[in-house]
Amino acid sequence: MSTVLFVIYALAASGGALAVVLSQNVVRMAFWLVISLSSVAGLFFLLGADFVGATQLLIYVGGTVVLLIFGVMLTSSGPYGTIKSQPAEVVQAGIIGMAFLALVASTVLSVNWEANEVRLAHANDHAEHGHVHEVSEPESEQGYNPEESGNTTRSLGTALLGVRFDKDLSLESEDGSNHGHTHGNHEVSAGYLLPFEIVSVHLLVVLVGAAYLARAKRRVDVENA
Amino acid sequence: MENVGLEMFLAVSAVLFVCGVVCMATKRNAIGVLMGVELVLNGANLNLVAFSRYGSLGLDGQVMSLFVIVLAAAEAAAALAIVLAFYNNHMTVDVDQATDLQG
Amino acid sequence: MMSPEFYSEVGNLLMWLLTAAWLLPLLGFVIEIFGGYWSDRKSKTPAYLAVGCIGTGFLLSLVALLTWVDAADLNLWHFGDTESAAVAHHEADAAEAGHEDDHSHSHDHADHSNAHGEHGDAHHDGGHHGGHESHANDPFKTAFAGTFYRLGKYGSLDITLDWYIDGLTVAMFAMVTLIATCIHIFAIGYMSDELTERYEDHFVHTEDGGHFHRVGRFYRFFAYLSLFCFAMLGLVLAGNIFQVFIFWELVGVCSYLLIGFYVERKTASTAANKAFIMNRVGDFGFLIGLMILWTWFGVFQFAETNPETVGSTGLFQMVRTADGELETQGEGREKVVVLQAQQGIHKDGGNPHPTIPYFLLVAAGLGIFGGCIGKSAQFPLQTWLPDAMEGPTPVSALVHSATMVAAGVYLVGRFYPMFTPEVLLVIAYTGCITLFVGATIAVVATDIKKVLAYSTISQLGYMMLALGVGGWLAGLFHLITHAFFKSLMFLCSGSVIHGCHHEQEMTKMGGLAKKMPITCWTMFVGVVAISGLAIPFLGIPKLGAIAFSGYHSKDAIVAAGMTFSSLNPIHSLLFFVPLITAGITAFYMFRMWFMTFFGKPKDQHVYDHAHESPRVMTAPLLILAFFAMFCAIGGENGPLAQLILTTEPVHVAEGAMEAGHIGLNLPGHHQIHEFHASAGAVALLVAFGGTILAYLFYGLGIVDTGAMQKQFGGVHEFLREKWMFDELYEWMWVRPTLVVATWAAAFDRCVLDRFLGFLAGMVVAISSWDRRFDEAVVDRLVNAVGEATSSVGRSLRYVQTGRLRQYVMFIAVSVVMLFFVLFAYLPR
Repeated sequence: MSTVLFVIYALAASGGALAVVLSQNVVRMAFWLVISLSSVAGLFFLLGADFVGATQLLIYVGGTVVLLIFGVMLTSSGPYGTIKSQPAEVVQAGIIGMAFLALVASTVLSVNWEANEVRLAHANDHAEHGHVHEVSEPESEQGYNPEESGNTTRSLGTALLGVRFDKDLSLESEDGSNHGHTHGNHEVSAGYLLPFEIVSVHLLVVLVGAAYLARAKRRVDVENA
Repeated sequence: MENVGLEMFLAVSAVLFVCGVVCMATKRNAIGVLMGVELVLNGANLNLVAFSRYGSLGLDGQVMSLFVIVLAAAEAAAALAIVLAFYNNHMTVDVDQATDLQG
Repeated sequence: MMSPEFYSEVGNLLMWLLTAAWLLPLLGFVIEIFGGYWSDRKSKTPAYLAVGCIGTGFLLSLVALLTWVDAADLNLWHFGDTESAAVAHHEADAAEAGHEDDHSHSHDHADHSNAHGEHGDAHHDGGHHGGHESHANDPFKTAFAGTFYRLGKYGSLDITLDWYIDGLTVAMFAMVTLIATCIHIFAIGYMSDELTERYEDHFVHTEDGGHFHRVGRFYRFFAYLSLFCFAMLGLVLAGNIFQVFIFWELVGVCSYLLIGFYVERKTASTAANKAFIMNRVGDFGFLIGLMILWTWFGVFQFAETNPETVGSTGLFQMVRTADGELETQGEGREKVVVLQAQQGIHKDGGNPHPTIPYFLLVAAGLGIFGGCIGKSAQFPLQTWLPDAMEGPTPVSALVHSATMVAAGVYLVGRFYPMFTPEVLLVIAYTGCITLFVGATIAVVATDIKKVLAYSTISQLGYMMLALGVGGWLAGLFHLITHAFFKSLMFLCSGSVIHGCHHEQEMTKMGGLAKKMPITCWTMFVGVVAISGLAIPFLGIPKLGAIAFSGYHSKDAIVAAGMTFSSLNPIHSLLFFVPLITAGITAFYMFRMWFMTFFGKPKDQHVYDHAHESPRVMTAPLLILAFFAMFCAIGGENGPLAQLILTTEPVHVAEGAMEAGHIGLNLPGHHQIHEFHASAGAVALLVAFGGTILAYLFYGLGIVDTGAMQKQFGGVHEFLREKWMFDELYEWMWVRPTLVVATWAAAFDRCVLDRFLGFLAGMVVAISSWDRRFDEAVVDRLVNAVGEATSSVGRSLRYVQTGRLRQYVMFIAVSVVMLFFVLFAYLPR
């Protein structure tokens, strides 16, 4: 079931993106963009990141794209206004894009992710605890449990505050003794409270700046008119 | 879900990313360029969430993707404001016309 | 005599008083020299400041004098029993000193008696062994000594700033500060024409026939005067010979500055140079003396008198035993002087005491005396002093009485214990020649200041002679009395010159007594004092003869000379020359007085414009006249002489028979006293003779002086030319120097210049090559780098198309390319 859903969503996302590239009309581009972004949201759900997916839908599909469409409305000189690119450019860009895609795809496929993951965990463990103990299983180092997927909202909220159910607390509560994680060695993650605050202030500043930038000339135009 | 590996998600995100880049490179419409940027960011987001699911990142990846989404929204707002200002000055949104910084 | 507590208490008090008096003029100098530039040139503030400083210094010195007298427990009025009062007093002191020494130096003394026991007393040539049980810090029993600051220590030698206070020091302080105060006050009036922004110097002619103009230098004059006083007081207060040398040179510098005060006048600047260079000749001897002392004694301090510093000794204590004898060993060239110290530099094998060869001690004494010859203008370095008259008259007064020339005599007196009989004989003959030469030239001089200058030379000769023949007291006594009446006479001459609008030739004066009575009669006091006149056979009991100060001191000198020549008949010249010169002195002084103030006016213009000086100038004259009359009251039994006498080195009092290599007989107090009465009578007679002659020649005018001059034309001319000393030096030193200089110049031109020119040419050639290299290589390299950077920038300019989409393409392409490169070339 999930495989089928993945195929559907993946095709929709890739196809939407391709359509955005290929279509000439801005409004159609916006439409295809909505398709693509929604599909990515579906992929997020598949990955168990329900909050991120919901945010994707709300902010991107519901906010950013609407914003873009407003931009189209405010700037299009005529109905269905298109600005055509030269075919040579399109061909050029296509070739380079294909090359880029081939590069990235080959890179992705050539890497042995499982082994990397084990090695990475191993290194992390060494860095943190020296040679005290070996890593028991690679599985235990993986992210949160798939069975619990679909309910990340609370975890994310606490993570923002610095409390990590997925890492620190979960390990201790389940098999902390096996792992050798003692209370003394255990470190609570720093959390994302400060970045969160910075981002919120940043957003505020950007909005104020955007409002200012968008308003200033218009008023002048009104006055001129 | 077991037969869908990390590579698949990464492949999709790569497609999104490349499409975004090509979009930025070909569209003369400034809003089109912005859409390309959104695609690129989405590709990156997908990467992050995929790694958070399959890798040892845990929730960090998701938190990062949340920040990216927020910053993308902010970026979109600012960029659109800039586009509007540009439009008010040049009566066009053709990025090829914006050559004031030509060397 | 004093307990250590009392010693340190009184010593510290005296030290603070005199140090304050010494440093005040320096403070004045600093303020004046730096403040003068921004204060008004017409302001008299600098003068008031200088007077305040030196006046306060005088008051402090006076307090110090009284403190000292009180501490030394002196009875300065010995009029009751005139019969050898001085000697008795001295012996009493000596006895007390001996007692004190037993008490405080017992440890020291034990070592010494051991040493003497081993070697016996056979080597002493003096034959006085009595005092040997008590070695002492103390021929100088009433002196206070200490250290201000240690400048540095080189091996065993301490270079320190010391103080040394005894009767001579406090007397000199009081005298110097008093006279300097009077001169400062006088100078306020005398230098008042400098209080202007535009001073016209009548003696300097510019090329267009006018006179030279400059700004007034009132403040500078007072600044220099203050510095001069500071230097002189520092010299007197100095506690070691090296420090004396420092201030010695400082005095020289100040005299240079002041003599050359009218620096625009060629004569003044030349005179300043001459004074300085002549002094350097003498200072060379001083330096040699210092080196000998450094090498053989290792100390510079005069004497250690502090009871707390038992064991360390000064120069005097090393040379002299407790009763002031030189302790010698060996004969002929091998003769050595045994130093009275445990620690020393040069020791013989079996001798626990360090020694110094006798001839080196003589050489050291002669060297130090060489410095005194220069500073006190003795033969043969006396020629700078008359030329020094180019300075303003107050300067002349200061230089000639209290400060510069007094320094030389003072040093001879201070350093007396270090002088061997041979050195004393040289001193005596030098003084003898000087006094005669000076007096004879003064007879024919017509410039009023020159007369006084030569009389100063002559009187300094008297002092040296007195010191040389063993009349230690007489010499220093005369130094102080002479300071008073000579400064008085100089200020009087300054008053005359001021009143006559800078006319100095006596041949243009005459009859000025009516115009300036105060000056005339104060000058009379000075003239009588220097002539040594007295009312004979009419003495107030207990006060001795009625006479001014000069009589007493000159009387003492003649008595010393007379005693000396009677003891050493071969040196009888040392009595007759000063005796005759006493008459000459009276003659030329009265000649000057009569020529200036009496007779008919010789120049009506000068006479008409002459006027009495303002009160600020006459008041110092009156003060000084008072002291010229009464400072020596009581003669050698009076307070001043008794004060100085306390400082007298022990060995002087007894005299010495067959002393030194040359077997000189030095008179003691007893012998001098025997000759005193007859010497006084003879000297008085001669002085009266001179006075009467002068009165006949110049007062009554019964002898035509012009005819006399013609009759003795050769002699007159010789004297007018100052015994041809300047010509002699011209031929002996200046001409050869010029010839050598010409050779050196020729050598310079022909050899050195050519060589240097060749070197310079080489350098030019090398640098021109270097320039070519610079231009061809370095510049081109730098330019190439610049051009390359610029062209790269220019080419890169085309990459900046300003097209956003192209940029994106560039990024994508470059990422791809980078990956290809990485995968292609990097090892897996």
